[in-house]
Amino acid sequence: MSGIVDAVRAALGDDTVAVVAGLGPVSAEVPASAWAAALEAAKAAGATYADFLTAWDELDAGIVVVAHVSTPDAADHVLLRTRVPSDDPVLDTSIGVYRGLAWHERETHDFFGVRFAGHEPLEPLLIQPELGLHPLRKDVVLASRAARPWPGEKEPGAEAAPARRGGRRRTAPLGVPDGWVQGEEGGA
Amino acid sequence: MGAEVLIGLPGVVRPASSAARVEVEVDGRALALHVVGAGLACCSVELMAAALRSERAREAGILPVPDGAEPADVLVVSGTCTDVLAPALRDLHASLPEGTPVLSFGACASSGGPYWDSYAVTKGVDQLIPVDVYVPGCPPRPEALADGLRRLPGASS
Amino acid sequence: MTADAVPVRSRGVISLVEENCTVCMLCARECPDWCIHIEGHTVTHPADEVHRRPRTENVLDRFAIDFSLCLYCGICIEVCPFDALHWSPEHSYAGGSIAELTHERGRLAGWEATAPQPADRDA
Repeated sequence: MSGIVDAVRAALGDDTVAVVAGLGPVSAEVPASAWAAALEAAKAAGATYADFLTAWDELDAGIVVVAHVSTPDAADHVLLRTRVPSDDPVLDTSIGVYRGLAWHERETHDFFGVRFAGHEPLEPLLIQPELGLHPLRKDVVLASRAARPWPGEKEPGAEAAPARRGGRRRTAPLGVPDGWVQGEEGGA
Repeated sequence: MGAEVLIGLPGVVRPASSAARVEVEVDGRALALHVVGAGLACCSVELMAAALRSERAREAGILPVPDGAEPADVLVVSGTCTDVLAPALRDLHASLPEGTPVLSFGACASSGGPYWDSYAVTKGVDQLIPVDVYVPGCPPRPEALADGLRRLPGASS
Repeated sequence: MTADAVPVRSRGVISLVEENCTVCMLCARECPDWCIHIEGHTVTHPADEVHRRPRTENVLDRFAIDFSLCLYCGICIEVCPFDALHWSPEHSYAGGSIAELTHERGRLAGWEATAPQPADRDA
């Protein structure tokens, strides 16, 4: 087990840290309220190098924010993660502990809308503010894919025998949610 | 930026930190392309490969020519043009002499390429500026660049 | 500049062997760029002395690839179950408009001549 994870568990209490072991580095999930404390404990235990901070959207389960921290020789490295609610994603900033994560917090804000308290203003980095959306959230649909007719939709002789729904053949393109394709019941 | 500026105006030198001079022989006619590049997108790397006077570039038909070669004005756009970059590309084209031929190098510059469905990409630079030749590829080889240059208006004598 | 001047396995363009295509639509569906356009129709052959049951067959009407979008990933070539698509090192097909970069079955079939053939394993 990782010395970093042990230090985080010692600082926060065993019950609050959920360890997920799998392929690659160990993941340790902490409550959002303990985010800054977890980072401080990790850094004090020797994880002085923070590689990246990013997030992913788990829909009803909230947005997971993850930071990869390691000792400088990379012998011990951990994915520290936490969860914030999708409708109000606020998290304490990491830049008090790891200054280098400032860029990553701005990027995570651009793409997921996560607000990092203590890091305001979160200057837009890559996304035009006029766009008005956080593109990597799963409720954001690539409208181009829904609007453009998919070449794979046609079947030879389609007018005579329309493709069956539910068969093995894929009848809608990837990336277009159900009901978005024109012509379907309940479609936009 | 993913745009290369070719400035053949006699007597005018545009200062740039990453300027390169590409001598190209196209159907026996020597063209000197002055390239100012700050390209980030992948197609620019192939353009750099074409510009380097390496042995491979020579084999591709990009040959050194003697001094005094006739300068040519061509704008080669190589790389993905994001919506944020679009105004800069428009300004760049406007700053060139009127009638400067434009060559769109690669899928992204031609049509948005693999990013046609992106919220942030201009679907082809011909939405911004007039394009004379489109070179398909992802990225196109230096040999494809030579083929594209050959098709420019006025390239064949 | 001929196709000979570049390595023979260069990913220059995608060529089509029309006889092999069964209009299964796999390449068009798997293309991540949506740049393959296929149209076909079915033909029913009635039963006869040789074939006791009627047979339906797909006929290819249109096979086009829009190379202004193509990202040369090769997924279409890999997924074709009938080996109808191949890489060809041909690279000189720039055009004066986007429309000129969409190539139909005739041109795609013509490029098959420059596609490298597999080595003869039995020799």
